[in-house]
Amino acid sequence: MSFLYPAFLIGAVAIAVPIVLHFLKREEAPSVPFSAVRLLRRSQVDRAPRRRLRDMLLLAARITALLLLAAAFARPYVQGAAPSPLHLIAIDRSYSMGGEARFSRARDLAREAIDAAPAGARVAVVAFDERVETIAEPGTAGAARASLARVTPGYGTTQYRAVLDAIRELAGSAPGRLVVVTDLQQSGWDAENRPVMPGEWTVAVKDIGPVPSNVAVMAVASSADRLVATLRNAGQAPRQGRVRAIVGGREVIGTPYALAGFETRDFPLPWSTAAAAVTVSIDDPGGLVPDNERYVVLGAGRIPKALVLASGDRPGLYVSRALQTSAGEEGAIEAEVVAGARVSTMTADELSGYAVIALLSTRGLDHKGREMLAAQVREGAGLLVTASPDVEIDVLQAMADWQPRLEIAPQPDQALTLAATDPRHPIFRPFGALAATLGQVRFERSWRVAPDGWSVIARFSNGSAALVERTLGRGRVVLLASDLERRWNDLPLHPGFVPLALETIRYASGGRAPTREYLAGHAPDRQAQAPGLYGAAGRLIAVNVDAKEGVSPRMPAEAFVKLVQQQSPSPPPGTNAVARAQQTEARQSYWRYGLLVMIAALVAESFVGRW
Amino acid sequence: MPDAPSGTGTRDLRFLDPSVIARLGTMELKARTVVEGFISGLHRSPYKGFSVEFAEYRQYLPGDDLTALDWKVFARTDRHYIKKFEEESNLECHVLLDVSGSMSYRGTSGMSKLEYASVLAGSLAFLMHRQRDACGLIAFDEAIALRLAASARHGQLHALLVALERLQPGRRSDVGRPLQLLAEALVRRGMVVLISDLLDEPEPIITGLKHLRFRGSDVVVFQIRHPDELTFPFQGAARFTDLESADTVVADPVGVRDQYLQELARLHSRYEQELRGIGVDYVPLDTSKPLDFALMAYLAARSRRK
Repeated sequence: MSFLYPAFLIGAVAIAVPIVLHFLKREEAPSVPFSAVRLLRRSQVDRAPRRRLRDMLLLAARITALLLLAAAFARPYVQGAAPSPLHLIAIDRSYSMGGEARFSRARDLAREAIDAAPAGARVAVVAFDERVETIAEPGTAGAARASLARVTPGYGTTQYRAVLDAIRELAGSAPGRLVVVTDLQQSGWDAENRPVMPGEWTVAVKDIGPVPSNVAVMAVASSADRLVATLRNAGQAPRQGRVRAIVGGREVIGTPYALAGFETRDFPLPWSTAAAAVTVSIDDPGGLVPDNERYVVLGAGRIPKALVLASGDRPGLYVSRALQTSAGEEGAIEAEVVAGARVSTMTADELSGYAVIALLSTRGLDHKGREMLAAQVREGAGLLVTASPDVEIDVLQAMADWQPRLEIAPQPDQALTLAATDPRHPIFRPFGALAATLGQVRFERSWRVAPDGWSVIARFSNGSAALVERTLGRGRVVLLASDLERRWNDLPLHPGFVPLALETIRYASGGRAPTREYLAGHAPDRQAQAPGLYGAAGRLIAVNVDAKEGVSPRMPAEAFVKLVQQQSPSPPPGTNAVARAQQTEARQSYWRYGLLVMIAALVAESFVGRW
Repeated sequence: MPDAPSGTGTRDLRFLDPSVIARLGTMELKARTVVEGFISGLHRSPYKGFSVEFAEYRQYLPGDDLTALDWKVFARTDRHYIKKFEEESNLECHVLLDVSGSMSYRGTSGMSKLEYASVLAGSLAFLMHRQRDACGLIAFDEAIALRLAASARHGQLHALLVALERLQPGRRSDVGRPLQLLAEALVRRGMVVLISDLLDEPEPIITGLKHLRFRGSDVVVFQIRHPDELTFPFQGAARFTDLESADTVVADPVGVRDQYLQELARLHSRYEQELRGIGVDYVPLDTSKPLDFALMAYLAARSRRK
């Protein structure tokens, strides 16, 4: 039995109080003069043992209560056998470890590390890239050895932090040794987010050797008339081969490449298409396979789309026409006009295909639809809200958890004009000197928007906010306090309407297109984890490896060990022992039982006292 | 032993109440109040067994005690008449009063046993004086503390009452010793009244009383007990200190009460049995109870002697 705060045991000296009182009280029994003590004396003999027993029970109960109270404050715990050390084998399974020969060597090194585990130590095996997967829970060396057959290389990138973070989860407070089987890619260290290894742990590295001479497709860019493939030679020896674009399993264009050692160069592939999924592939005999191909989704799918929620006789007519004018230009946005009821029938993946949502009407927008829209905005989509007879203020307020609360009220009907508060704002910048023409627009009806939590972009002539913006999650929300459907103003009839509508929607979207490219292991579709092209939820996505993994420089094993030890300075002597004691005590919580027994002792004391 | 006078009036009983008696001034007043109240109750009761009033007048004859002359009658008739009392005799009565330390027990209030016993002794003396009996007093603890020879003289009552008033509690009791001394000193048969709590070894007491009975004296024993001694009402553990020996006993009253009361009953039973066997009137008294019962017991004993 040990105590977390033994100083509280000093409180146990308080037992002297009942002991002293016990004896003092006996002496201080009130003296009663009596005439027939002679008769009393004869019967006292039978009384004494019972009285003594009662007094002793009372004293014992009081002492017990005080001792338990002091012990409870001292937080007792039973220090069981110290947890046996853990021998943790971490196998790097990033794609740079690929190749049967290389990974077979990694298994051999892991097996050697298991065999070298000290007697009595528990052995665990984990495989890691950006994530850690436990292959063998802490246990026997035999089980760990058997588990090695289940480890295969993947398509991820090395993140050493992941395995260091997993140590505490696996080992708890036990000390141990970490053996990392890796190719020592320097890119596995995040300079800004350093891990910390427990102080009573040591680390060793089993190096499987450098990545073989490797050429990787680092990136593919597209323009109207060509593809540009960026290749890098990670080895010292010059490499050459052919780079080609493949569509539907057929090479559509190709060109030879030649790279000096450690050279990175762009190789244009003059070829254009309206819409296609392209695989850019290179010849790289002996190199890493996953980064020899890069998958790209080209074409119309890359144009941002705006979902326009509208109702009425000519739903979304002016806005959709304004967006159509951008077709064929850089920064074009496609418009799709739907009724509010349509939103709730969409899947989240469908909705994620829209870069921006223009909310011109809330008619038919049910609770589910509102929540889906808000979730999409929080994920990064833009939202343009316009005042209009079809936009219900209550629905708008309930759509998201606006902090502070969205305060909107109709303004009295009066003719107002609009003026930008800052002509340099991205919405008004394209107007240049023409921004003043917006002052000719007559706004007959509008909302009064409390600007708390919003940034005011433009104001009406009465000083109230006309165009405001704020963020919601990762998305941007722009609110126009009048409509874009020519019901409360004559804005659509003015030449400034199209650029204003277009720039406002473009600004709300943040200029982003819905992503179609994912790193391996990060695609929303669970089936699309390996590099390749996938049709997911009606759209095409490309999954690639992070090519940096295949071209990263290596670091010496000594530097690796030094870096880990630098990140985990030895704690002051006893710190870990104290931490372990605290954990043990918190888990056992014997002090609670002590207090319960103390209460029981006090209850017993009260009963014995009346005996 | 006669029964208690059931017909005594409430008004008179009030004056026999020990708490009332205790508030009176002198011993003489106390004794007079007790006796007058007692006699008043007797007159109104149907219990006609006793009378201490005069029965008739007779003409004075030379040699008669001049103190018996009724001067009021002489003033009215110019003739000398002598009061003739019904119970008049030449009885010699000795009151033995225990003044040991245990008799000083008072409890939380009321009269101490000694005060109660003193009033009883004074009342008896008063009653004896009215009956022209010679009355003496022996106060004792472990030794004789005071001795007044029995006498029927006019100043005897006053002297006796003053002596009673001045009595202080003594030390240990030794009841047997004065009984032996008195038995040896008695030259004529008389009446002996022992007033004590009898919290002593029973054997010497019984032996002494036997001795007195052997000498022909009538003996009445009044055992004075405090209600605390009868019920042992104490609560909470306490150190009980003996009033005579200063011995202490630490005890929890709740636990020892039953055994104590058994001891007390055993002692009482022994006295009652042994004293009845030798013809001694044994009268246990409670200091919370009126004194008329004691006076009645005395008169009963006296009437048997006649």
